Amino acid sequence: MENVIEFKHVYKSFGDFQLKDISMTVKKGFITGFIGGNGVGKSTTIKLMMNLLQPDSGSISIFGLDHKAHEKEIKQRIGFVFDENIFYAHLTLAEMKEIIRPCYMKWDDRLFNFYVEKFELPLNKKIKSFSKGMMMKASLSIALSHHAELIIMDEPTSGLDPIFRREFLDILHNIMQDGKKTIFFSTHITTDLDRIADYITFIHNGEHIFTKKSYQIQEEYAIVKGGMELLDRDTEQEFISIRKSNAGFEALTANKARIEDVFGDLVLIEKPTIEELMFYTKKGAK
Amino acid sequence: MILLPALFVYLTLNISYIWSGFLFSIVIIMNAFSMDEKVRINTLLNSLPYTRREIVSSKYIEVLIFTLIVVFTIFIGNLIIHRELTIWIDLMFIVCLVMVSASFIFPFSYQFKSQNLFKGSLILFGIYMVLVNTLFRNLNDIIRENVRILLSLQNLKVYLLILFSVIILYVCSWLLSIRIYRKKEF
Repeated sequence: MENVIEFKHVYKSFGDFQLKDISMTVKKGFITGFIGGNGVGKSTTIKLMMNLLQPDSGSISIFGLDHKAHEKEIKQRIGFVFDENIFYAHLTLAEMKEIIRPCYMKWDDRLFNFYVEKFELPLNKKIKSFSKGMMMKASLSIALSHHAELIIMDEPTSGLDPIFRREFLDILHNIMQDGKKTIFFSTHITTDLDRIADYITFIHNGEHIFTKKSYQIQEEYAIVKGGMELLDRDTEQEFISIRKSNAGFEALTANKARIEDVFGDLVLIEKPTIEELMFYTKKGAK
Repeated sequence: MILLPALFVYLTLNISYIWSGFLFSIVIIMNAFSMDEKVRINTLLNSLPYTRREIVSSKYIEVLIFTLIVVFTIFIGNLIIHRELTIWIDLMFIVCLVMVSASFIFPFSYQFKSQNLFKGSLILFGIYMVLVNTLFRNLNDIIRENVRILLSLQNLKVYLLILFSVIILYVCSWLLSIRIYRKKEF
């Protein structure tokens, strides 16, 4: 299985924020969801991929090519969607398309018109009059119209209504049918990931915590609930973090099988949602 | 594009066309620059398949093209309105002035935010006003006199030397801007 994006020991710091020793891969032909709380480094990682920022050290390769030496070639094959409008607001969508079209060798007008019609976008209204959802759809139409092999999206669904989010995820699902495309998107809306992500990459406080297949997370991680009497200094080590109350404790473990061995029937073991994963990991880091 | 007809109007008013030509070119250039200033547009430009070198170079080439258009407009304008052929030395002077200004303005714009640049130019203008009113009462006249002397020299070699120096300055500025932009983070 090929790696479309590879980060090796990437470090990046600005002021008091740091990305530390990020080594991760994004596999070809799958949808990878990139999750983390606010301010943990998701946008920074994406900007590093797009060469909007340069790493302090480490290497980044995309499509197996060094991302600085082959910048143009790589970007020809990437479609990008950012969470804010990056187009000239005073132009119409048609005019914006005319500016972007000559940049890409594989631009396909038919595809563009197909998506514009599908998303019901007005071609001759100024972009500044678009709603947030329309801007997102416009970005997506452009990203999808040049036969990109990799689509990178930075929080594409934030600010969208739930209905359109669902439609958007369906669109992504349809794009993936030929097995040749790879999608990488960052989000903190966990339900989106439950629906569509094959792999989940979790980043926290500038560190890459894990990249796993969605089902693996369900198999390895678990929420454990039980009585306070079960906790002591040794057993507390088994958990990433614990929430205690008078009624008992609730904790996250990265090793479900071990907890089953140690506690057996004394505790309730449940599947974690991604939200719980994020919550307990953040708690455990404090 | 509205600016070109406005340039025509200025020509009819008989204001020195060297000065107008220069000002108009600078305004067009700064306008183009400020539109691209917003960080988000830089995000777009740098996400598209262009290297940073190409992005900077396009600005420098744009300057030359726009200046040539302005100069051409002046030439045609003068021909139509005043029925006179503009001296090519004057036109070259405009082009050189613009190139020299761009050589200083661009690296500054890339290095510093345009708001600071605006403040910087206000300060420069302020200094100019103070100088004119105190030390060099006739600064404008001195400049005008020197420019007149410069333009009436019949020595081709001197002109070529000046042109050559301006080109070298422009190229150095180009390279410097590429270096600054390469390191920029968005």
